[in-house]
Amino acid sequence: MNYFKIFFLNLYSYTLFLVYSALFIPVLILVVLVLSIFMDRRGTMRRVRRAIGWWGRGITLIPFPLIRVCYEDRFRDNPGEPYIYVCNHRSTSDGFLMSVLPIEAVQVVNIWPFRIPVIGFFARIAGYLNVRMMSPEEFFGKALTLLNQNVSIIFFPEGTRATGKKMGNFHSAAFRLALKSRVSIVPLCITGNETIMPKGSLVLRPGTVRVRRLPAITWSEYRDLNVYKLKNRVREILGRELALMESGA
Amino acid sequence: MNEQEIIDITNKVFEESFEIEKERLKPEAHIFTDLGLDSLDIVDLVAELQKSFGVSIRNEEKVRDIRTLQDVYGFISAIKKDNE
Repeated sequence: MNYFKIFFLNLYSYTLFLVYSALFIPVLILVVLVLSIFMDRRGTMRRVRRAIGWWGRGITLIPFPLIRVCYEDRFRDNPGEPYIYVCNHRSTSDGFLMSVLPIEAVQVVNIWPFRIPVIGFFARIAGYLNVRMMSPEEFFGKALTLLNQNVSIIFFPEGTRATGKKMGNFHSAAFRLALKSRVSIVPLCITGNETIMPKGSLVLRPGTVRVRRLPAITWSEYRDLNVYKLKNRVREILGRELALMESGA
Repeated sequence: MNEQEIIDITNKVFEESFEIEKERLKPEAHIFTDLGLDSLDIVDLVAELQKSFGVSIRNEEKVRDIRTLQDVYGFISAIKKDNE
């Protein structure tokens, strides 16, 4: 029964993913072309990112009810204010899960997502940042410009997916950017997805993913910390909350 | 400056400037994978080492070869010898 369920889940999820993307992408390209004629670049990008959010949301809904995504918002943001989101990273699907956030945002991603046909296409047109392919000056310049345009930035500071439930070391780029920009940091905890698509596997398994957004850490709370103290502070907050979530809280 | 002093000062840099716990500071610890530094942090590391040891670090190629904490000790030791 279990094997049948997994087979059925993968068959309908991947089929619908391909059909949905095949229909969505041409429409999106058309929309981008039309918008770029009538709107300025900023307006076009805002709508493109919103459309990509819809695509991502669709992807997270496809495997329902065998895979459920629960979003718990423990923090109400100020509309129009940008944030730096810092998330733990356990699964390839984490990027899609960010579509639950009701905001305009770009993600900081590794090189490999840019090489995946559909995902790479969306990452490019949405202006996602690749920290490995840019010099630090270029990266921080682009990131600060985005924040000034009220576009939030999503980081997975572990850089690569964790092999288990233990978080890896954090890279410092998110925290350097926070100290430069004085933008609030929002810790975001993700659990459950490590069993739905374990590292090294493309086979989906039934389960529930929980995404919990914690209260923002404002500039006034972290202004006296250096990059490394701030990095450890945010890692501790995430670790503590993840442990609570694992225990069912 | 003897080898133990170099080790102590270097470890103090990692503890105080990079907020890394003493127990993790083992000579074989990889500065990227075990201690969690990244390429951006290397600039801070070089600045802190210069300040703590009163040396000038200009040989960027040798900095790029650093992988473990033991490499950092050896790197500082070599600079100190060159300066004597």
